[in-house]
Amino acid sequence: MAKPNKDSLKTLSFITYFIILFVFWFILSGYLKTLLLFFGVISVLFVFWMSYRAKALEEDSFPLKIILRLPFYWIWLFKEIFKSGITTTALIWNGKYSPQLITVKASQKNRTGIANYANAITLTPGTVTIEVDKKIFLVHALSKKLSEDLQTDDMNKVITDLDK
Amino acid sequence: MSYNYIELITLILLVIGCFFILSGSLGLIKLPDVFSRIHAAGLIDTLGSGFIVLALIIYSGFSLLSLKLLLIPIFLIFTSPVTGHAIALFAHESGHKPKGKNKK
Repeated sequence: MAKPNKDSLKTLSFITYFIILFVFWFILSGYLKTLLLFFGVISVLFVFWMSYRAKALEEDSFPLKIILRLPFYWIWLFKEIFKSGITTTALIWNGKYSPQLITVKASQKNRTGIANYANAITLTPGTVTIEVDKKIFLVHALSKKLSEDLQTDDMNKVITDLDK
Repeated sequence: MSYNYIELITLILLVIGCFFILSGSLGLIKLPDVFSRIHAAGLIDTLGSGFIVLALIIYSGFSLLSLKLLLIPIFLIFTSPVTGHAIALFAHESGHKPKGKNKK
């Protein structure tokens, strides 16, 4: 494969975004008539134009390389959510919680990665990102075990690898 | 009594989802301060709704309807951390201190 230059990458991300929007439109409507499909294309184009104006299609906010790895990442994330969810449920029922604040360092390079990491921390039950200061997060954890799980840095590594 | 497998699986998943929602609601009342209660709300958001939607998808079979149902947890995944983070940040900035069960 030849080295992709900037313009072709941009075109590729436009096409991907258009396909995503159209599939989304089709899932929500389910129409197969030609006229309605045409209206669908028009509305998708309108949304596309708005996102282009809002600069939502830049390399930084719509990273193309992540998309193929996203399903695997989500499966991993569901596993993580389930594990810490069971821990949190047990903590609620037996009352042995000891809330604490910890700081976590993020090693992602761009802003999308950092937002991704902060969201992943908040999504797993038992840990909430309170404040993001450049690359250091202030995290509230429900128990010592949950905060130690976070400090092993596994989640950080997975999300950093997502953007390679 | 003749259950078929799909109904049985749906039933089990619904019970698991309801259990998570119940524990989330219990935590919402029981836990000591704002920050800890967000954890309980997050439990309802992710696991509770996730299992219930999974049960509904399996019950309805694979169709356009199940794809629509699949959109609900996807949107929840994007929106629920934002609300949790907003509440936590505002509580932090307005001077709430997280308190533990064993106070230091």
